[in-house]
Order: sequence, then structure tokens, then C-alpha cells
Amino acid sequence: MDSRNGALAGVRVCSLGAIWALPHPTQIMADMGAEVIKLESIQVGRQTYVTTPYPDVYRGFADLDPGEHPWNRAVYFNDGHVGMKSVTIDLTRPKGKELLRKLVLATDFICENFSTGVMERLGLGYDVLKSWREDVIYLSLPGYGNTGPEADYVAYGTNQLGMTGITHLTGYIGGDPHQVAINYADPAAGIHAIMAVLAAMLYRKKTGKGQFIDGSQRETSIRCVGEYILDYQANGRLGTRMGNREPSRAPCGIYRSAGPDKWIAISVGSDEEWEALCRAMDDPMWAKDEKFADHLSRLKNQDELDRHIEEWTSQMAPYEAMLTLQHAGVAAGPALTNAEVFEDWQNKARNFYQSVDHPEVGPRRHPCIGWMMSRTPRHIPRAAPCLGEHNEYVLGELLGLTRKEIAELEVEEIIGKVPLPEADPMSRPEPGRIRSKAEQMPSD
Amino acid sequence: MPERALGGYKVLSLGHHIAGPYCTCLLAGWGAEVIKIERPGSGDPARSMAPFFQDKPHPEKSLLFLYLNTRKKSITLNLKTETGKKILKELIRDTDILVENFSPRVMSGLGLDYESLEKMNPALIMTSISNFGQTGPYRDFRSSEVVAQSLGGLTYMTGDPDRSPLKLGGYQAQYQAGLNGGMATLTALWCRENTGVGQHVDISIMECIGSIMEHLDAQWEYYREIAVREGQRWIGRACWGPYECKDGWVTMCLLRRRMRPLGDVVGEPVLKNPEYLMNTGLYADEIDMLLKPALENITKDEFYRKGQDAGMPVGIVATPKDILESPQLQARNYHVEIDHPVIGKLRYPGAPVIADGTPWVTGRAPLLGEHNEEIFCNRLGYSKQDLAKLKEYGVI
Repeated sequence: MDSRNGALAGVRVCSLGAIWALPHPTQIMADMGAEVIKLESIQVGRQTYVTTPYPDVYRGFADLDPGEHPWNRAVYFNDGHVGMKSVTIDLTRPKGKELLRKLVLATDFICENFSTGVMERLGLGYDVLKSWREDVIYLSLPGYGNTGPEADYVAYGTNQLGMTGITHLTGYIGGDPHQVAINYADPAAGIHAIMAVLAAMLYRKKTGKGQFIDGSQRETSIRCVGEYILDYQANGRLGTRMGNREPSRAPCGIYRSAGPDKWIAISVGSDEEWEALCRAMDDPMWAKDEKFADHLSRLKNQDELDRHIEEWTSQMAPYEAMLTLQHAGVAAGPALTNAEVFEDWQNKARNFYQSVDHPEVGPRRHPCIGWMMSRTPRHIPRAAPCLGEHNEYVLGELLGLTRKEIAELEVEEIIGKVPLPEADPMSRPEPGRIRSKAEQMPSD
Repeated sequence: MPERALGGYKVLSLGHHIAGPYCTCLLAGWGAEVIKIERPGSGDPARSMAPFFQDKPHPEKSLLFLYLNTRKKSITLNLKTETGKKILKELIRDTDILVENFSPRVMSGLGLDYESLEKMNPALIMTSISNFGQTGPYRDFRSSEVVAQSLGGLTYMTGDPDRSPLKLGGYQAQYQAGLNGGMATLTALWCRENTGVGQHVDISIMECIGSIMEHLDAQWEYYREIAVREGQRWIGRACWGPYECKDGWVTMCLLRRRMRPLGDVVGEPVLKNPEYLMNTGLYADEIDMLLKPALENITKDEFYRKGQDAGMPVGIVATPKDILESPQLQARNYHVEIDHPVIGKLRYPGAPVIADGTPWVTGRAPLLGEHNEEIFCNRLGYSKQDLAKLKEYGVI
């Protein structure tokens, strides 16, 4: 392997992962140099995940414009599949299954997060793949697992997050369990699962043995609130919503900053940090009150403490407050918007957001991964693939098919680059429903 | 004896609190040996973190510590003494992986920076988890759960439009960092198995959150729209989020055909209106005005079962009680009973996934310094008298 291309250079992944749970960790692998081949089909098309409540404004597409090939301009798909390659194969037909067999032989593992039973019904379950290669590593990560009374229940991100116990703990103080902006259980599940796959790969390298890995997105992510499960058994507590407070820290919260909808997060956990905070605020009189003199008192008088803090923070812009506080020795940081994250100094210094050029959408920046390595790079290798963009490469170069064979597969519509008419309707929105770009763009 | 995926690999952990320990907890679960190095006397600061068993603060009763440190060994070492450092280096020479989550200055301050350690063990993988990474203008800044989630971009977009941004409950930024640490460590290990050399893995808690904005950072990059707080709705849609019912809360992700059975399940036929199914955004208020009262008559379990039987993607807002009592989790043997000499038996969340060839393995958290004799005497060759002296000098 040439590790100059990344710690996972030479690793090749066959991914049927959809939406986010498996695209996320396989994307991480691509940023580490692995070749991730996303298997799609023109029969199903591409879920463009139109993210709008209104039927005729296409906020799911780059520049609000579905363009001529909407399936290559979908924001959710493109952002989630940066770094990957795409091959389309109709797995329902024998020739398609044969192509999968060849692909499984040419890759290090196969992963999918379909609903339970989908692969079995296609005749492509673990037993079949194992007959192709004894040492296959196969990860199946449906919502609730491949076994059990709820195995065939339908998941979806918001539901998963609720099922893991995390939603129950998220909300304003004394408030309702709250919706979260992202489907947090997905990446939590995916990384747990792919970590297990890496462990399986290491094991196979030593022993030659592969295995079936059966995951439940629910079971992975419950592990992120394990202490509450123990607390309930030991102390009968169910846990509750604490807003932005953290246990044993005061003051702790997200406070108004100067400017419209601007906020700064601050968290103090010790006497030393409290003294630093007071210095940063120029030792205001109110801070000398007995009510705030020691840690326990500050915890008891947190509501009043928060009001005082917010009077101070409201005068300062978020980054100004952050730098003042951090230089004094206090944990603080703005609640950055999805736009501000791109411009943050730390992100820029570490080259966290990287631009890649897409043939139909142009150059766009995407986040890289949560870590760097000293010897091998972290690097987004390419933009998201167009549908079937790598058919010739995968089928020809990797699997050894001739041009004639590939052309025949195209004629038979086993492979292709354009979704068929019966594919997901959102792959090809009706032209009549598209409003002009001028009508769609929000006014400045 | 079942096979261990990471059997034979040795991990030394200087991890404390949450992120480092969660990383090594996962490595231990997949079969690596994890030796946790703790400060003599008080140990990992997480031993002082609530919740405690029966609310009795005690270094062996922190439920957070017990959960995060399953199947590890514990030795005590004072790294501020020369002898302590010397012993640590002896251990490092023979280890595959070293995990730490101190502020970036600490390890170099102790003479234990990667460059120095690499010389004594070129195959070493050193995994460092820190608030902002080992480099950059924020390198030496402080952080916490709410600060990390905010700088990652997550809090601004979560919550109500007329209230403050909102963090995810629990310690999600730190768990994510530990989890990324686990994957990163195995990535480096894979590279080492193919090249012979280790490297330094530098994990940033801020970046771990920044990397999971889903498509919301793309919403800016692809069509210049700020992701704002939308309360309980998702992209302005009704039927996509948490809803209160008779005895708790449920969630639903319903649209178009998936939403069709809703009217029947909750006993409100007006909800079957095809206009509502197609436009949960446009008619969000109308839908909620019908749906919320109807849900007052149905329990969360009923809604979940009837809804799923009708093919609707619905769930419950599970409490720890719901999780322990879940028939699905019980059928999958998810909860693992672990016994502990001080607090007795409790059921812990178990394997993240079921790897049938190399199953997840667990065991209780260690008592402070429990394995001093095993490691210092049996493995490093110190005598019991040596241990007594080291204890006297405050080294262990």
C-alpha cells in the first residue's frame, strides 16, 4: 500500500449504504485513502431528499436548481457522498447479481443499511455471499437489527434518536423532549459499526476468517447515554431535560450576544475558572455576592447567575466574548451558524473544510473528518460521484469486463447513468413544477 | 474460547473523564487489553463524577466511571515523578497503542510527546484526543460539552426560534470524540499492519461535531441558506418530530404514503386528507391542531405498535426504563449483566454490533490500582518490596 495516499490506501469498500448511517463512516474511510464504491441502480434512482415544505420550491438542489440532471445536483446526496465512486447495478437480475459477486471478490468488505430482509429477499444474504468467498466481511446495519420482534420495523433518523434515549434528555430546562437539527443517531451508529468492521479486517488479516456483523442503529447509539441506564437501575431516576447546563458546572449555558440571534456558550467548572470569569468581566459588584462565592452556592443560584452573565454577554459580539474569556482562562465559544463554521479560524488553520470540484455543480467545500494523522494525510479525494459515473472504471478496470459486455449491460438497463422513468419520482421532478430561479432565491 | 478481533493488542490508557475512556472502552470490547493508568490516591477524575450508586460519592461508585471503564485493568502511576515516568516508558516500549486526552501541552511537558515516544517504539500508535486538536489558534483554549457542541455548529440550529440554541443531552461531543478515536486508532493500526510504522493520531472534539452537521453545512454552501431553529418541526413540517401522547412522548417521520395510516391509528379521520399527506409543511398548523388532541388518548406503546404494524415510521421517546424493558433489546440480549465487588450487579448497554466471528466482550471496571501487582511485578519484574517503596514515595 502507498500510505502517502492515506492510512487506508489500498482498502476497497463496496457500499450499499444509504442516507447517512453508512455513508458517513465510509466517507471517513475515503478521506483516509480508501476507495469507496457506492452501489446504486437506475431502477431506484437517487433519493434527492427534497428538503422543503412547499411543493414547488426545490431547496434540495444545488443553487435551488434541479438542472438537467437533478440526480447529480441533490444537496443531501452530494454532501453525504463526497469522496466516493458510483457504480449502478440492477441487483434484481441474474446478471446484476453476478456483477455483485465479482465486486465482492474485489473489495475488502460489503456494507448495507437497508431495512431488515432486503438483501435476503434479493438472494444476496450473508450465506450466499459467503459461498462466493469464505472470508467475506459483511456488515448489515438496519434500524433495529436483523433479529428480534421489531426487526422489520421501519426506522428513520428522528425515530432512532428517540429510541436511543437521547431525545428524552434533550430539551430546555423543565421543557419537552426536543427535536434535534440532525439525525444524530446515524453517524453515532455508523462509526460504531465501521469500527467493528476495521477490527474484523485486522482479525481477518491475521486469521483469514471473515464474518457477518449484524448491527442495530439503536443499539449502537444507546451506548452514548449508558450512564443514565445505570442511574435508573441504581437510583430510580429517569433523567430529565437540563437545557444547556452540564452537571456540576455553573455558570453554564448559551447566552445572548450582541447582534441579532447571536449567542455565546460559556461553561465554568471550578473556583479557578470562576475567578477568571470575574476578571474577564472586570470584577463586577454583583459577582462578590455571597450567593456566588463558592461552587455549591453558584449551582444553587444558577438562574440568577445566568441573568447577570447574560447582561454582560449581551454587550459583546460572540467572538469578542470568546477571546476575552478564553484568554482569561474560561471555556467559551460562539454558537456558530452553518455559515460561520466555514470561516472559523481554527477550522481554517486545520484545513477542516476542503473544496472539491464536481462536474455538474462546481467547486464546493465540505467538512473533512474529526482527526488528523502525523504520517498520512486527511484529504477529501474527490467530489460526490454522478450516478453511475464509475461504471466503466469499476466494471472494466476492476472487474475485467470488456467494452462490449459493458455496452450490453447498458442496453439491458442493468447499468446506466440516468434514472429510469419508474425510479424515485423525486429523482426527476416534473419540469412544470419547477419555478424559475429568480422566483426561488430568497431575497437579500 | 471465543475469538477476539483485537486479541493480542495492548493498549495503555492515560484517558480520563469521558472521551479517552470511551475510546479505550471500545478497544477493550473488541478484545484488546487495556491498562488504565490512574493518579495515585484519587484516580481518574471521572471517579468523582455523578451519578453515584445510591447517591453515595465514592471512587468505586461513580456510575459514569463504571460504565466507561468496563473490562480495563487499572494501575496507579504518578507521572510527575521521574520513577513514574520511567515505569510508564517501560510500559510504552511494549505497547501497541497509547491513548490520552490531556490538553495538548501536558504530554510534551512530561517529556512524553509523540516524537520522543516514537524513538523508543516506532510502531507505537499514539491517539491524542483534545478539545481543538494539537494545532491551531484554539489549541490551548478550554472547552466543555456545551462549548464544543456550539463551536461545532450544532447548537445554533437546534431549539426554538425565540429561545436560545440548545445542546444535545448528555455528553455527546465527548462520546463522539471517543468514538472517532476508536475508529481512528484502528485506522492507524491497519496502516501499521501494512507498513510497520505507527503514527500520532490527533483528534479534535470540535471537528468531530463539525463533521456531523449532516446536510446543513451544505445548505449554506449549496444555496446560501442559514439553518435556523425551527422548534419541534423539521424543515417546517408537522409529523416529523416528538409529540406528546397519553403517557409520554412518541416520534414520527411521516409524509405522503407513510402518513396514510395515521388517521386510523389515532382515530382522527380528518388526518387522512390527501392534501395533508402531500403538504405537511403548508398545513403544519392544521395537522397539529388535529393530531395533538388525538394523541392524548393513545399510549406510547400502542402508538408505536399500531403505527409500525401499519407501516408507519414511528418510535417512542425512550426513557432508560423503556430501554431496559424493550422486548426487542431483550430478544437481542443487548443488556449485559456485570457484577462489581462494591456495587453489585447492574445491566449495562452491551455490544454496539453483533460480530458473530469475534463477539464483543465485556467485564467490570477495575478498582483503583487493582492490577498494580499484576503489571508491575508479574510483567515488569518489580518485587513486592519495590511496590511498597514506590507507594511510600508517592509513585504508585
